[in-house]
Amino acid sequence: MNARNLTLGSLRELGTVGLVAGLCGAYAATLIMAASMLGALDDGSGSGADAMLTVVASVFIGIALYVGTVVIINAVDTVISGRLRHIALLRLLGSSARSLRRSVMRSTVTVGAVGAAAGLLAGTALADVVRIVLVSRGTMPKGDYPLVSPQLAVAFVLIAASAMVAGWLGSRVVLGVSPATALAGTTAYRRAPLRKSVLRAVLAVLFLGGGFAVLGLGAMVGESSEMGFFIAFLGSVASATGLLIGARFVIPRVVSMFSRLLGGDPSSRIARRNAVLDPLRTTRSTMGLVIGVTLVTTFASGMRALSDSVSSWDLDPEQAAMARQVLSVASTVLICIIVISSIIAAVGFVSTMSLTVLQRHREIGLLRALGFTRSQVRTMITKESVALSASAVLFGIALGLVYGTLGAQSLVGVMTTGLVWGLPLPALIVIALAGLVLVLVSSRRPARRAVAVTPVEALRIEA
Amino acid sequence: MTSSISLQHNQTQPVLAMHQVSKLYGEGSGRVAALDEVSVAIPRGGFTAIMGPSGSGKSTFMNVAAGLDDATSGEVVLAGQPLSKLGDEGRTVLRREQVGFVFQAFNLVPTLSALENILLPFDLAGRKVTAEQRQWIDQLVHTLGLAERIDHRPSELSGGQQQRVAIARALASQPAIIFADEPTGNLDSRSSREVLTLLRTASREYGQTIAMVSHDPVAASYADRILVIADGRIVGDHGPLTPQQISDLLIGFEIGAPA
Ligand SMILES: Nc1ncnc2c1ncn2[C@@H]1O[C@H](COP(=O)(O)OP(=O)(O)OP(=O)(O)O)[C@@H](O)[C@H]1O
Ligand SMILES: [Mg+2]
Repeated sequence: MNARNLTLGSLRELGTVGLVAGLCGAYAATLIMAASMLGALDDGSGSGADAMLTVVASVFIGIALYVGTVVIINAVDTVISGRLRHIALLRLLGSSARSLRRSVMRSTVTVGAVGAAAGLLAGTALADVVRIVLVSRGTMPKGDYPLVSPQLAVAFVLIAASAMVAGWLGSRVVLGVSPATALAGTTAYRRAPLRKSVLRAVLAVLFLGGGFAVLGLGAMVGESSEMGFFIAFLGSVASATGLLIGARFVIPRVVSMFSRLLGGDPSSRIARRNAVLDPLRTTRSTMGLVIGVTLVTTFASGMRALSDSVSSWDLDPEQAAMARQVLSVASTVLICIIVISSIIAAVGFVSTMSLTVLQRHREIGLLRALGFTRSQVRTMITKESVALSASAVLFGIALGLVYGTLGAQSLVGVMTTGLVWGLPLPALIVIALAGLVLVLVSSRRPARRAVAVTPVEALRIEA
Repeated sequence: MTSSISLQHNQTQPVLAMHQVSKLYGEGSGRVAALDEVSVAIPRGGFTAIMGPSGSGKSTFMNVAAGLDDATSGEVVLAGQPLSKLGDEGRTVLRREQVGFVFQAFNLVPTLSALENILLPFDLAGRKVTAEQRQWIDQLVHTLGLAERIDHRPSELSGGQQQRVAIARALASQPAIIFADEPTGNLDSRSSREVLTLLRTASREYGQTIAMVSHDPVAASYADRILVIADGRIVGDHGPLTPQQISDLLIGFEIGAPA
């Protein structure tokens, strides 16, 4: 058995890394190919549109990569946290924390690169097949389309690099493992004390406060001037940056607040404590969902507010119908493009839930011995999943409504009296349903595993 | 509650009765009888030590007796209830209401404070802590030297402190029987003495039934009955003995036992 196996277990436990890298790859390839085809279409009409498309595609790929990286960090962190004793043993036998982390990093790069290559290949093939079908049907004009794009190589390098960074950051837990842990009789969970980052807190507050103030200002200016949207855009970017920087302060509070609603019986209490046991993990496992839901809600809400204000304008019915049609097509396309980040986040969430149950094998066995029935154990796991995912979804919806509404206001406030709330009910219902499905999917397998734990085998000394 | 009625009803019956209980592991030639037709009764209020060489079946005995594991054959009657007639749910509820545990290695729920761990059996059974019980718990916490650590999480406690919290939890709800696997394994000799004295007091003065697995002759000398298990069978059933007598007794079996 080599050090990697002892640190990370089998490569199978890195399945999430491969899957996420694959999804990012497929997504990136699809967007890149779509952009390059569109570029080939409007050949000659100037390269301005070309560059614009590349920028837009890069932004979306960047978001997906960011979410993917967070998910991978969390997967690695969770796997390693479950093996602290093995790692302590390795440390006792003379491995340095640095070399252990490096071996983790090598594994995630390898798995990430394989996943990325497979995903890019699949995405490219998909795009090419769709294009050939569309061209043969006459939907798309014949033309000189590229089969591949040089940007795919850039995407590959970026994804592999993200997996590498994620491996390094995710293995930070190793630092908190002292060799003595191997000798202690307990498997208590201890995290390496985080550097108390005052700088991070200050930056988060500045960006958040400032960003939302500027966003509000943009909405107000939008009432009387076209400049509003630009100001609001700056405000959104700043406040979103603040949220990303300060997520580890904000999200655990949101989860903790929301999970109070779960009830006070022992299974709820333990579920709640586990949900916020480690603020960083809580943040990482929900942040992707928050980002995804926020983006989807922002677009849905913004489009809704726009189409509502279009209705209040003085347009003849034909024009109004036309405008609404354009808006609805645009929002559908945008939401489809953005939804992939939510899917990556959801994949990460499901895998984190599974891994934490593996990690808590002994605890569950103990609870069973002390008198938790199977259904109480199942409830406990489901409630933990609810606490995390529902908080993420609700928080994301709230943010999205604010961004979408203020954004739309800043854009068309001039032409509409008062503030038009963008309450995209159908979209909200779909998001809520998706959240429900996510809870069911993410808690089913872990709950089944948890229920199958028997106290006797879980509590054996060398469990 | 039906269980407390049956408890009073069976006041004269043993808390634990095993009739020809066997527990077999494996198949064919690799078959091991971890328990081999064991019959034994543990009366109310007794403090029983279970001893025997490593691999003799002590932990298996405890697991089967407490309803944590199924017997292959035979019948276990715990607190008046035949375990073979209970499903998983019924046994879970029986454990929750009638059994206290101290395990050897992993005892406490990591996310709960020491006090919450101690009160967990009450919470699970949906019972309120009466003033009298509160007093008993305070006394336990004090005797076990946990008063200052009561709001700490298990990860902030030493191994010995964790074990003492588990002992407090087992004693707090005054269950029909406490099963303890090496409860003094992590303790120094002074706290070990204090814990054993506490167990003996609980048994003598409050009628607490205790079954304790131990390798330590000194620990076993606090018990009022000593069962010796070898090769899955009960090969000795003694009254109270001195540590020296127990050592002599065990040496005979260690030599006789297959490696
Ligand atoms: N799950 C299992 N599968 C197969 N054999 C088992 C299993 N559990 C226990 N055994 C066997 O049953 C026998 C009794 O085991 P048990 O754990 O009860 O011993 P013990 O008396 O508690 O030993 P120790 O003092 O070392 O803890 C041993 O021979 C052991 O190898
Ligand atoms: Mg044992």
